[in-house]
Amino acid sequence: MLELNVIFEAVHRWLEGILPQGLVTLISALGTGGIVLAFLSILALFLVWWERKVSAHMQQRLGPMRTGWHGVLQTIADGVKLVQKEDLIPSTADRPVYFWAPVICFVAAFMAYLVIPFGRGLIVQDLNIGILYIIAITTFTVVSLLMAGWGSNNKWALLGGMRSAAQIVSYEVPLTLSILGAVMLAETLSMVGIVQSQAGGFWNWLIFRQPIGFIVYYIAATAEANRTPFDIPEAEQELVAGFNVEYSGMKFAMFFLAEFVNMFTISAIAVTLFFGGWNAPHPIFNFVPSWIWFMGKSLVSVFILMWFRWTYPRIRVDQLMGFAWKFLLPLAFLNIILTGLGVLIFRN
Amino acid sequence: MAGNIIKEITDGIYNLILGLAVTFKHLFKHAITLQYPTERWEMPERSRGTIVLLSDPETGRLNCTACLLCSKACPVAAISIERIKNPDTKKFEPQSFNIDTTICCYCGLCEQACNFTAIKLTGKYEFSASDKSKLLYDMGFLQEIGRDVKYEKREKTAAKKKAVAKAETGEDVGGAPVADAKAESSPGSGEAKKED
Repeated sequence: MLELNVIFEAVHRWLEGILPQGLVTLISALGTGGIVLAFLSILALFLVWWERKVSAHMQQRLGPMRTGWHGVLQTIADGVKLVQKEDLIPSTADRPVYFWAPVICFVAAFMAYLVIPFGRGLIVQDLNIGILYIIAITTFTVVSLLMAGWGSNNKWALLGGMRSAAQIVSYEVPLTLSILGAVMLAETLSMVGIVQSQAGGFWNWLIFRQPIGFIVYYIAATAEANRTPFDIPEAEQELVAGFNVEYSGMKFAMFFLAEFVNMFTISAIAVTLFFGGWNAPHPIFNFVPSWIWFMGKSLVSVFILMWFRWTYPRIRVDQLMGFAWKFLLPLAFLNIILTGLGVLIFRN
Repeated sequence: MAGNIIKEITDGIYNLILGLAVTFKHLFKHAITLQYPTERWEMPERSRGTIVLLSDPETGRLNCTACLLCSKACPVAAISIERIKNPDTKKFEPQSFNIDTTICCYCGLCEQACNFTAIKLTGKYEFSASDKSKLLYDMGFLQEIGRDVKYEKREKTAAKKKAVAKAETGEDVGGAPVADAKAESSPGSGEAKKED
């Protein structure tokens, strides 16, 4: 009905009719990239505003109110301010490392959207190793944070970078293992395949067969995105601003954008793996376009992440590492064993 | 031992959910923010903000009789008054009345010392200036910012009570400010202050 993939397919067919094949491939690749980039930028603007409003109302404040209706244009105003700012580079910085860190951070966050299914047929490229690709590409974030910390030649930035490396590498392990359970049940690594295996109604969603996997995934993903209560890399009270303390202007904006894009990424993965992706909760709701279901579920998940941030205090570094290795990792292994046993018993 | 660990875990989960419930409840509570330039606090009647000189609403003349009690009561000597004797009425009138609000400590002693309800600390507070000299208030300015201040005249004698009753009945008629002889004695300065 209002499925967006119809529009894209129509445009593609129209282009094929008037242009040679090579040019069509090029244009559709650039066009899709541009659309995803624009979507993510607008989404990040919205999420920043939303986070400010949620945090404000949880603290019984109002948040931004002056720019537009209830301050919706506040992020745009902030963005314009950041563009105008001088692009400072510390004199002792390692220039190439310092320059490329925010670029890698943003590109890593952006690349994950290659395989995220926004709706029925609404995916840039349905790789058959989709979920593995996402895990691999989002790990680049840790490289960029380390580069930012090292290149700034600032002790707080370096400490923030080292902490983030330790944190993300540790939480990568339970994160990957928690996803394995869902993959074992769906019997595919492709994102579209995983979503299709959950079709038919909410009782088919993997959350009901993978509750432990979901909890481990959600906690580990919160840590992956450097969100409170796991925001050790940018612990303001200890490290000023952590790895991005020396960054200003657009470079800082790229880190900031990447953070919010990552937040949406982990929500989108959670929805795809455990909440049926674009599927409606019941077949009678199929008249609502699939992309609305996907966006709605993802935004609820994003809200829960924001809710965590404004509820829980930051945990200590040793608690953080202990939690990952002593609690989440055994739980993730337990989940894999239980899932394997379940598959063995119920499928055969 | 094992029971302890299980209790710790269940307690921890319970408290995590409790925290989420508290923040979610606060999400729908009314924000206490007051959006300042468009919304303002209603100042209490006896708040000690900017000092004004009160004038008679009927005649538009200052209540001040230049008795100098306020300047004597002032602990920081922020008030300086020059007075002249009116040759017609043989009474003192203030020729200039300056308050240096940069050293004023807003103690309200001048208001207590005044017997004629001529000086008052009000709830007005938006008088910041970028130039220090604009914070030296002269008589014209003090009278101007005091025109809309509601006050009750201190009652002393039966004769004065009568005068007050008369002033109150004529209040809505005598709203227009009458050109004041004393305000004119400090020319120009009153107008310059109004811009702040």
